[in-house]
Amino acid sequence: MLRIVKQGPGLRRALRCGVAAATFALLAGAASAQTLEVAVEASPAGLDPHIVTAFASSQIVLGPIYEGLTALDKDLNIIPGLAQSWTASADGKTVTFKLRSGVTFHDGKPMEAEDVASSLRRVLSKDVGSPLASRLSAMESATAVDATTLELKLKEPSAPLLASLTGIAIVPRGLEGNKDALQRAPMGTGPFKFEEWQPNGFIRLAKHAGYWNTAEVKLAGVKFNFVPEAATRQVGIGNGQFALLPHVDAATALQLKGKPNIAMQETTELAYTLIGMNTSKPPFDNVKVREALNYALNRKEIIDAALFGSGAPAAPLPAVLKDWAVDVKDLPCYTYDPAKAQALLKEAGVATPVTVSMTVLPRQDIRDIAQVVQQQLGKAGFKVELKNPELGQFVQDWRNSNFDLFASTNAGSIEPDDYFYRAFRTGGSTNVFKYSNPELDTLLDKGRATLDKPARQAAYRDAQKILGCTGPAAHIAYPTLFSAVRSNLQGYDIYANRSLVSLGRASLR
Amino acid sequence: MLRHLLQRGLDLLIVLFGISVIVFLMIRLIPGDAVAIMLGANTEVTPERIAAMRGSLGLDRPLLEQYWVWLSRAVQGDFGTSIWTGRPVMQEIAAQIWPTLQLTLFSLVLGAGLAIPVGCLMAHWRGGRADLVLRVGAIAGLTIPSFWLGIVMLITVATLAPSFASLGYVPFSEDPLGNLQRLLLPAIALALPILANLSRLVRTAMLDALGQDYIRTARAKGLGERAVLYRHALRNALIPFVTSVGIMTGYLLGGAIVVEQVFSIPGLGRLILGAIAERNYPLIQATILVVTVGFVLVNALVDFAYALIDPRLRTAS
Repeated sequence: MLRIVKQGPGLRRALRCGVAAATFALLAGAASAQTLEVAVEASPAGLDPHIVTAFASSQIVLGPIYEGLTALDKDLNIIPGLAQSWTASADGKTVTFKLRSGVTFHDGKPMEAEDVASSLRRVLSKDVGSPLASRLSAMESATAVDATTLELKLKEPSAPLLASLTGIAIVPRGLEGNKDALQRAPMGTGPFKFEEWQPNGFIRLAKHAGYWNTAEVKLAGVKFNFVPEAATRQVGIGNGQFALLPHVDAATALQLKGKPNIAMQETTELAYTLIGMNTSKPPFDNVKVREALNYALNRKEIIDAALFGSGAPAAPLPAVLKDWAVDVKDLPCYTYDPAKAQALLKEAGVATPVTVSMTVLPRQDIRDIAQVVQQQLGKAGFKVELKNPELGQFVQDWRNSNFDLFASTNAGSIEPDDYFYRAFRTGGSTNVFKYSNPELDTLLDKGRATLDKPARQAAYRDAQKILGCTGPAAHIAYPTLFSAVRSNLQGYDIYANRSLVSLGRASLR
Repeated sequence: MLRHLLQRGLDLLIVLFGISVIVFLMIRLIPGDAVAIMLGANTEVTPERIAAMRGSLGLDRPLLEQYWVWLSRAVQGDFGTSIWTGRPVMQEIAAQIWPTLQLTLFSLVLGAGLAIPVGCLMAHWRGGRADLVLRVGAIAGLTIPSFWLGIVMLITVATLAPSFASLGYVPFSEDPLGNLQRLLLPAIALALPILANLSRLVRTAMLDALGQDYIRTARAKGLGERAVLYRHALRNALIPFVTSVGIMTGYLLGGAIVVEQVFSIPGLGRLILGAIAERNYPLIQATILVVTVGFVLVNALVDFAYALIDPRLRTAS
């Protein structure tokens, strides 16, 4: 120190300047200590909750900025959201919602039943072209009876309705034909209101002073910093610049575990990885070949090799949906048995080795999985050639069912209907497998239109038994989801659906 | 001189026209239906939404008409709106061009500025031990990719001086010190390969110049070594240097893409990457056009600088 000072007044002045700047930075930091600094991977493509479904957008808008009529608790149970209670008519075709009173939008205007009705109509509006429209396909009309009562008329009873409503944001009335306004300036009823968006930089939210449950909100605001590089996010949480990394990959999680001042939270994700089969042409049009593929897979080994051991072998529904999921142990063909696979291929009458191609989603974890699967299938009598197209080409081939096999990932939900109906029912909107099984169709129709829970559970149990062994998708894994949390952040809870809704209850020490 | 400039201007227009055609055709040349692919990651796309987007991009009209409409708007600075945010594309670019320009300039000043004295010293000490060390260092600097260097520097600084390793970007007008602090590491990462490249170039050019007759003459006149080196040799050595600086600017724009990604700086590079990832074609078209035009203009400036440095080039054309 002495030596440095001896070097002259210029340096001393510079040093003093630096100290002053550092002090200033500290003071500035203390003043805004109540704003939570979060680092997320990607910049959102837009902020309209009815248009963007990309995860980078929805994690920021749904929960922190917007709320739905219904909501989810940490254990994924449906709880009241903006609706305090609801009742269904005897035939199940009319559902009446009683809304919470005293709810205001971020501009201070009260939220009324007309806003809810308008929001639901907006999702169905052709001008907006919302990808969420299929979730409200059962809706016939939405009417505001009075300021706090909403009546929903349905074409047929809909069991998944309440779950669907958790993901449909309530926006101010009168935007039915407008698809631009909310993309840039979101306006919801949630705990935080939108303040500033610097594309590729950050999004800053401030506490919504008029929030209906304002006592719960302790943060002055949340700043989502967009930091695309995993190593950089890791540096940022290490030196305290960020207090939360909501999503950390398995490799980084291993490195962060045990670091001082950083706690890791984990849960099993609802989205799953899968190998899809094209059932419209040989060899996967043969049910025995599909069964053989399941026997040829060692899911535990795939998870260890490709996902750093972080994940659970995947039944058609994730185990966290306790009311619905069938345990993997109850699916006989989940036992790894290459000999049996070869026997089944012989029974099917196909010449071995069966040569097929597998189109792989361009994402590192999926590529890793595909390579392990290729090698496992090789032992059981398949010869798999991997195809690695870029994303656009992948999507195109996927959409046009231009594949023998594909390796990819599917979004999760809390509702069995979301997993099965679109993907596996005959003519379903994402049934790229070209799969058709009348028996399964009957079960899925029943699961959708029956309101009686035990009867629904029975239907989905049977559906999972069919899908698990002879269906067009071999479910591979539900990966583990990690969050890294600085020790000064409290009240944050990781959600299996990646929701950041718990920020409304979090606080900084 | 005037003819020289006019000739260059004409060349420039032809190049720009070529670029505009390529950028325009891009959206039509990719295999498959661009709109379906653009909406691709989303599994619940309706035919109505595809039709609406095709209409809003003007893809339902004849090709020549589309090009004319696109070009006539583009020359007025209107590249349409960003597909996802609905903001005018030029507005998005304007918001993110400054960090990149600042970073480019900063690293160019660092890299090229240091390259002249370092190259001169290498030439002065040619064959000596210091020259050898600097040459080996220059080769290392050339081969190490800047994004890797960036990550290593970031992790090292974060371990040694955590409070210094701030990420992101603040505008100079808001916080000058914070701005420079945040740009210093990425600028060094980008400047090192430039320094390595240019200092070798200066060394060779200086050695070449020092062997010429006019240098012997200058020495024979009794000029001091410093004057010989800087006033006579360097001036001639600068011509290849200036050419390289022009090319380096193009390199910097490319390098900035990855370095911006590492240091999470909201610049043009991140804008391009993001636009490609989300298949935001109007934004991709506009950013590529802006970057190429920038590159072409820099090269035109380099040509102009030749004429300033070397009077012979003025009369030759």
